[in-house]
Amino acid sequence: MKVFIDPPNSLVLFDIVERFGHEPLSAMAAIQEKIDNLEIDMPPMNMTLDDVVRGLKYAGVEVPSGIRGRLAMWGPMIEEADAAIIMDDAPYSFGCVGCERSNEMLKYLIKKRNIPILHVVYPSDEEDAKNFVISAKEFLEGLSK
Amino acid sequence: MTIKIAELSCGTEYSSVQHEIEKAALSVGAKMVYPDVSADDVDDAVKRFGFNPRSNQLKLMIARATSLADGKYDADAVFICTCFRCAEAALVRNELRRFIQDNTNLPVVTYSFTERLKAPQMLTRMEALVTIVSRKELLARERQTGLTAGLDSGSSTTKAVIMQDNKIIGKAWTTSGNVIESADQVLMEAMKQAGIELKDLEAIGTTGYGRYTLGKHYNAKLVQEELTVNSKGAVWLANKQRGEATILDIGGMDNKAITVRDGVPDNFTMGGICAGASGRFLEMTAKRMKVDIEDLGPLAMKGDWRNAKMNSYCSIFGIQDLVTQLGEGKTFEDVAAAACHSVAEQVYEQQLQEIDIRHPIIQVGGTSLISGLVKAVGEILGELPIVPPDSQYIGAVGGALLSSGFL
Amino acid sequence: MSEERETRLLMISPNSMLTPDQLVRSIHAMNKEVKVKETCYGCLVEGRRDIVKEVLCQVRKKYTNEVFSKRRAYPAGDPRRCRAQHGTRPGYCQLEAEWALLSNVQYGLECADRGETVEQTPVKGPFSVRDFKRICEE
Repeated sequence: MKVFIDPPNSLVLFDIVERFGHEPLSAMAAIQEKIDNLEIDMPPMNMTLDDVVRGLKYAGVEVPSGIRGRLAMWGPMIEEADAAIIMDDAPYSFGCVGCERSNEMLKYLIKKRNIPILHVVYPSDEEDAKNFVISAKEFLEGLSK
Repeated sequence: MTIKIAELSCGTEYSSVQHEIEKAALSVGAKMVYPDVSADDVDDAVKRFGFNPRSNQLKLMIARATSLADGKYDADAVFICTCFRCAEAALVRNELRRFIQDNTNLPVVTYSFTERLKAPQMLTRMEALVTIVSRKELLARERQTGLTAGLDSGSSTTKAVIMQDNKIIGKAWTTSGNVIESADQVLMEAMKQAGIELKDLEAIGTTGYGRYTLGKHYNAKLVQEELTVNSKGAVWLANKQRGEATILDIGGMDNKAITVRDGVPDNFTMGGICAGASGRFLEMTAKRMKVDIEDLGPLAMKGDWRNAKMNSYCSIFGIQDLVTQLGEGKTFEDVAAAACHSVAEQVYEQQLQEIDIRHPIIQVGGTSLISGLVKAVGEILGELPIVPPDSQYIGAVGGALLSSGFL
Repeated sequence: MSEERETRLLMISPNSMLTPDQLVRSIHAMNKEVKVKETCYGCLVEGRRDIVKEVLCQVRKKYTNEVFSKRRAYPAGDPRRCRAQHGTRPGYCQLEAEWALLSNVQYGLECADRGETVEQTPVKGPFSVRDFKRICEE
């Protein structure tokens, strides 16, 4: 199954989803689609004005352009997802997940899909990590492949 | 030498504007760089800075600024930019600008962008950053020498000034039409006043929108953006070459606010999204009222803006407000005062928030001749700006002054 | 090309005794048609998607719970993301932060392998106003 991960660029979540037999839907895949397009020369990410305009599907023009651009990239993936794992309060979310308002909207869009969602807490010690991994494992194994 | 401009930003890549920023930098011989920081630096920097934004990219901006302040990363100038309409980012952007100014000697400019940003909009700002870094000695010049001319090809008017031995000996202006023809006309007129011919001129400096075209046409020794050139002209005209000052230039198309220390600019803001906050709006007002633009100022001086409130942020709706007010029988004086107040208020709200005002305030440019506008600016800032003689000639004077540095 | 190329970032858990050099050598020893680039945290593996996945599968088998992986959007050495061009990009801090988390995740995976179950820890809620009032009055 296709499992959306949030933060969408997380190494840990990507690895866990894949390890337990599912396909992670990540920011990396979406960005690769863009940067491998040889017809556009807009480094570093080949984001175009049209992409940002497509973000209007998720948020109005009064919303900052960076949020609309991010949503334009993640929105289609969320629509494609069969399930999602969300790490709440991940303190390491830099880069594409550097905007907290975008991240809040992202969580909301996932919730609106009515797909199976697992919320995990950022593990701050070994016991937390154990609970995080085991609950992710149980969740992922419970999804039909 | 490539000038390294440190970029402290949030949202540029996802707004599809990063490429435009880099293109603008490249075209003026600069390069955008990101100060190196590690994940641990981010937490420490945020704690030290004392402002803890929710968005991690803003935390990263803080860490990068701290790296510059601590001299751990070497850059020549700083460009701070975030998405337009993001409140969290606007707070961080402004406070980081202050932090950089308090802790480094680097010139800094801030900007809030939309996805429509294109490289040419950034060009003047980037060029000014590069000028401040690479032409420090030239910008420190306080006296004009020899026989030189300055040409300022602005969006509304074209101005020429002839200077000799630190004195203005000829000056002329006209409304801008064809860039070269308008410049030729004012240059001829100014030379006639000065009693000289083109061949006598030892150097020419050009600035304003048409600077490149004129620079090529006249083989000018100095072709430089209007931010640095105007600020030099302003401090020379106001005789405020030493100490601090803020130069305010409400232009026909865009407005500039520049802070200077000993005549050298170190921070500036340039805005031009809305005509409602520019000289153009006052021109439209005068036209609608069927008075000469020269008469608008004295009219406004006699009026009270409180009697004819204009609550508009757009030149179109602003004129609509104006028509309504006139229709209701408000006096021309009050309406003129309201128009001046509206422009001053918007300049204050949209632009002067992006810099820290230093005193005195020197108001220049064609609009500084509209006394009602100067009064309105004074009321809003709590201090009447200084308007030096020949204040509309700042760009041309700056061009003549700085080009003499090449003799 | 996107269907074809896959670039993988392989990161070694801080608790592991494995070094990037050993990891790279062991991938080379698999004799697969992939490019391998050693990095400070592990390595980058790049090649055709199916081959890269085979490599990953073998790495996971050999170094169970010690090596973690995610896709990388940019090909190895792409100037658009190269540190030498501009300085560190935002994603760098994130990798650093996630690297620090890996030893805990490794421990979690080992527990999961042993069949351990989730321990419910009581969630601390906000202190009730009534209790707080009572303490103040005491």
